[in-house]
Amino acid sequence: MKKLLLIFGLLSVNQLANAQNAYQNHSQLTSRLKALSARYGTNASVQSIGKSKGGRDIWALTIGKGNVSQKPAIAIIAGVDGAHLAGTELAVQLAEKLLGSASDSVAKLFDTKTFYIVPGVNPDAQEQYAAKVKFERSGNDTDTDDDRDGRMNEDPFEDLNGDGLITQIRVEDPAGTYILSKDDPRVLIKADPAKGEIGKYLLITEGFDNDKDGLFNEDGVGGVNIDKNTTYDYPIFVAGSGEYAASEPETRAILDFLYKNINIFAVLTFGPGNNLTEAVKFDKSKTTKRIITGVLEKDAAVGELVSKLYNSKTGLKDAPVLPLTKGSLAQTIYYHYGRFSFATPGWWTPKTLAPKDTSKKESPKVPATENEDIKYLKWAEAQKIPNVFVNWQAVKHPDFADKKAEVGGIAPFVKWNPPVSFLAETADKHLKFLTALANQMPEIQLLNVQSEAVSAGLTRITVQVINKGLLPTSAEIGDKVRWAQKIKTELKLSGNQAIVSGRKINLRNALASGEVQEYTWLISGSGSVTIESGVPTAGSKTVSVNLK
Amino acid sequence: MKKYIFLFFLSCSFSVFSQEKAQNDDLIGLRAIGSPANPKVKMSWNHYNDYAMISRFCQDLAKAYPDLVKIESMGKSYQGRDMWVLTITDFRTGTANRKPGFYIDGNIHSNEIQGTEVSMYTAWYLAESFASVPFVKQLLQDKVFYITPTINPDAREDFLKNPNNANSPRSGMMALDDDGDGVADEDKYDDLDGDGNIVLMRRKSATGRWKIDPENPQRMIQVKQDEKGDYEMLGYEGLDNDGDGQVNEDVTGYYDPNRDWGWNWQPDYIQRGALYYPGTLPETKNIKNFVMNHPNIAGAQSYHNYGGMFLRGPGAEEDAPFYVAQDAAVYDYFGKIGEKMNPGYKYFVIYKDLYTVYGGEIDWMALGRGIFTFSTELLTSYKLFNKNTEEGRYQNNEFDEFSKLLLFDDAYVTWKPFKHPQYGDIEIGGPKKNYVRAHPGFMLEEDAHRNMAFTILHASQMPKLEVLDLKQKPLAGGLTEITATIFNQKVIPTHSAHDVKYKIERPDYITLKNANVVAGMLVENEDLNITKEQKFTPQTLEVTNISGLGNVKVRWIVKGKSDRYTVEVDSAKGGLASKTF
Repeated sequence: MKKLLLIFGLLSVNQLANAQNAYQNHSQLTSRLKALSARYGTNASVQSIGKSKGGRDIWALTIGKGNVSQKPAIAIIAGVDGAHLAGTELAVQLAEKLLGSASDSVAKLFDTKTFYIVPGVNPDAQEQYAAKVKFERSGNDTDTDDDRDGRMNEDPFEDLNGDGLITQIRVEDPAGTYILSKDDPRVLIKADPAKGEIGKYLLITEGFDNDKDGLFNEDGVGGVNIDKNTTYDYPIFVAGSGEYAASEPETRAILDFLYKNINIFAVLTFGPGNNLTEAVKFDKSKTTKRIITGVLEKDAAVGELVSKLYNSKTGLKDAPVLPLTKGSLAQTIYYHYGRFSFATPGWWTPKTLAPKDTSKKESPKVPATENEDIKYLKWAEAQKIPNVFVNWQAVKHPDFADKKAEVGGIAPFVKWNPPVSFLAETADKHLKFLTALANQMPEIQLLNVQSEAVSAGLTRITVQVINKGLLPTSAEIGDKVRWAQKIKTELKLSGNQAIVSGRKINLRNALASGEVQEYTWLISGSGSVTIESGVPTAGSKTVSVNLK
Repeated sequence: MKKYIFLFFLSCSFSVFSQEKAQNDDLIGLRAIGSPANPKVKMSWNHYNDYAMISRFCQDLAKAYPDLVKIESMGKSYQGRDMWVLTITDFRTGTANRKPGFYIDGNIHSNEIQGTEVSMYTAWYLAESFASVPFVKQLLQDKVFYITPTINPDAREDFLKNPNNANSPRSGMMALDDDGDGVADEDKYDDLDGDGNIVLMRRKSATGRWKIDPENPQRMIQVKQDEKGDYEMLGYEGLDNDGDGQVNEDVTGYYDPNRDWGWNWQPDYIQRGALYYPGTLPETKNIKNFVMNHPNIAGAQSYHNYGGMFLRGPGAEEDAPFYVAQDAAVYDYFGKIGEKMNPGYKYFVIYKDLYTVYGGEIDWMALGRGIFTFSTELLTSYKLFNKNTEEGRYQNNEFDEFSKLLLFDDAYVTWKPFKHPQYGDIEIGGPKKNYVRAHPGFMLEEDAHRNMAFTILHASQMPKLEVLDLKQKPLAGGLTEITATIFNQKVIPTHSAHDVKYKIERPDYITLKNANVVAGMLVENEDLNITKEQKFTPQTLEVTNISGLGNVKVRWIVKGKSDRYTVEVDSAKGGLASKTF
């Protein structure tokens, strides 16, 4: 840790952007985003959408050309759960790559689409990465009584071995339920009595039981996890969820931002949830109740399509199964904001193939390792990543005075946040997915505009509104949501013109890819009328028609 | 009566207020019993109050009773009005914010105006009666009231000052697009005849299904299935302002401030009226902050109209399991007495007896904060002729008759012809905005008093803790065992059962002072000597709850002698108590 701080001190802010292995703190992120908007001024702007509980700005980077709020948009959000630093880094790198791309197809996207990037929704928590004592922190700076015992932060972690990292403690105890793994004896696994295994170790987090309640480090600093504080399926009275839904300034800031930008078609979230490598399946029983808890049928089909696109464009494999959790932003975006919501950690531990044994003819067997820690350690070893494991070392622990207690285990953050140098490739892969997704977005067009004379001074006008994109104009759930607009087709008259038949304003639900909606009017008078059709998530078109 | 006067004289000797005057008022017969005679703040309770009048009342009351009433703003409304809250307690006794607190608000729905007057009446009655009614004096020594007469001041002003009907605006004043055309509040009601009321439109029609009531020309009735009608009803007074072929489809607001709360909040497609997330509105945010900053609030009351109902949660069936039997029993106690105190009012459960509400205020209070909370639908047609109608609450003709017999037709706008740009020759008429939902003047004070009495019953039963006794027993080795009993004199526990389950509020602390405590424990059964040791901070024992009219026993093992043990009880909702032995 000391070494890391030293490096931070030596490098200037600009150089830090190139530092290959360390994640950035909030002030570095701020400089990086501001530099980006300064460099690409016409295509990028950065604004604060609110402040965290700890007073840190939550930045939104807008990428696009001209009137960005009038174009259909994709939002990229990260750092909602503060322990996930890789997501924040990935989101910023995606922005950098989007803006810096030499490809014409990317540049062309800016003519018709807008990208909103909010890389750090929970900056208070992320600051812990650069703190003197590092622990994986998900919560903001709100003071919370995590175990709800009436005392605030009375049982925090303690860095017992003074290495600046909060890891674990194992205690030899006949009442323990853990044993050493046979695959990697550094790792402890639950003893399985069905396999004849008998527990030998207690396994706890690094620290004391300060309040003698039998729990270790259950109430330290680190308040509300924004990814547990949003409105859908909000978990009541659990550690990190806050006192009530949307209690936190960060939660309200990101939700206000989303709800006010009605042109957002889909949101991509980087965080500890995954519905991209495998889409959520349609389950009718979950969609027919008063409170909808399952993805609607048409949206499930789109999810399937986008999942295929993700897997083919990124080429990522062996993804972890990470269902979206209670109160998470990605779920609220779908069920309450009514937009397509795609979530992925972006990076996860790749499978490590056993080294090829050239002396044998048959292809090497890949051991099916279930344990995520062992899988990670194997990969880190193969990649020669240092400092990912703190070797078990004996400490004196007053709560286990007569027992052998050792501190050690996987270092905080490393499992989900690889050295930053590993993310460039991941960001490239996600750029491919993002541009492919943007190219499939819906597009409203007006076709087959007809004007017929019914009689002198009376004209029949017919028009077809069609979605020429590969995805629907909005999510099916958006048809229910008040804050997702309908497709509006309006006939604008002037002078002596009057509608004899037909509605001036026509609203309808989402159009699927290629779906057509026809409107017809009888209009009296002369001159030309204008027809405008559109929806913020799919753009709008206008035609002028002469009355016969 | 003699006893009453005797008590009265007793209380006089402790009071700094002039009792002579009140007594004289009684003696010369000017004082009507139950009402403050010669109040310092002169009020009449047969009219409604606008924002300026509410503000002046709050300031006047605070000025007249500086030791009983303090005024503060809990924050600004959407349009920037201060949301006044009166803190009412005997400030000379104890610490105000450490007494069990009772929160009252009214007018969350802007058209449901009289909750404001009932709240104001309560504040006024408490302050003006402190000196003369010993019960009130004791109440304000033990408890603190937080009274916010209106929590929707912007739209209340709109209701009072601008053309409205009895149901509008209900919402607040933040303009929203109701019809999905991308424009907000562009097709509101229109006061076609400029009389300040939004009434109904009817049109003569050979195919209509309505007719004029032959017994009351003001009243429209639907014809029978086999009968031909001669009128059609065209809804509330208004035009197609935006030319979209619809009338009054995008009115002031529209959202529901009572769907903006952080318990089982659901979005607009499930719960009409919800906004982006619970607490989108500044008014909701202000109240939430106030309640979070006053963990002593143990009871709450929200005033709505209409229907004569003492409502408890849950608002949604899914939440029924959270109202466990012990908590329901507390509500039942108040509800049953309430039905007697206010004839015509019924004690109901919202989701069962009214309709489903997700994200309502009282569920957040009750389930989000563990506060025993009622919401009252003020006024019922029972009050018109002191009997129940056999028809539905909006279908009966009692209001028509009442207007005729007791209000001399004051409550209705007589039908008159109008040339409508879209509908042609129509007539407009119907009930005024301040009829049906709002009390007629002469009934307002009585119902304010009855509802206040129900709320005072509720408030008076918030916990009152007492250290009952302290037993000492010598143990070997110079140790002494000390056992204390803490009693709650009232019906409401320090923690609802729901609160205990989810640990919403901290435990109650019981501390032994002036002693060298070596161990502490909760006594689960004193007779059988079953105890549970508390290893951490044994001097200050933590109990999860002290139930209504229940007790807890705690025990300390102390070293050495002390001739003066003090037991201190510190409960967030139950207040403070201590006793020295």
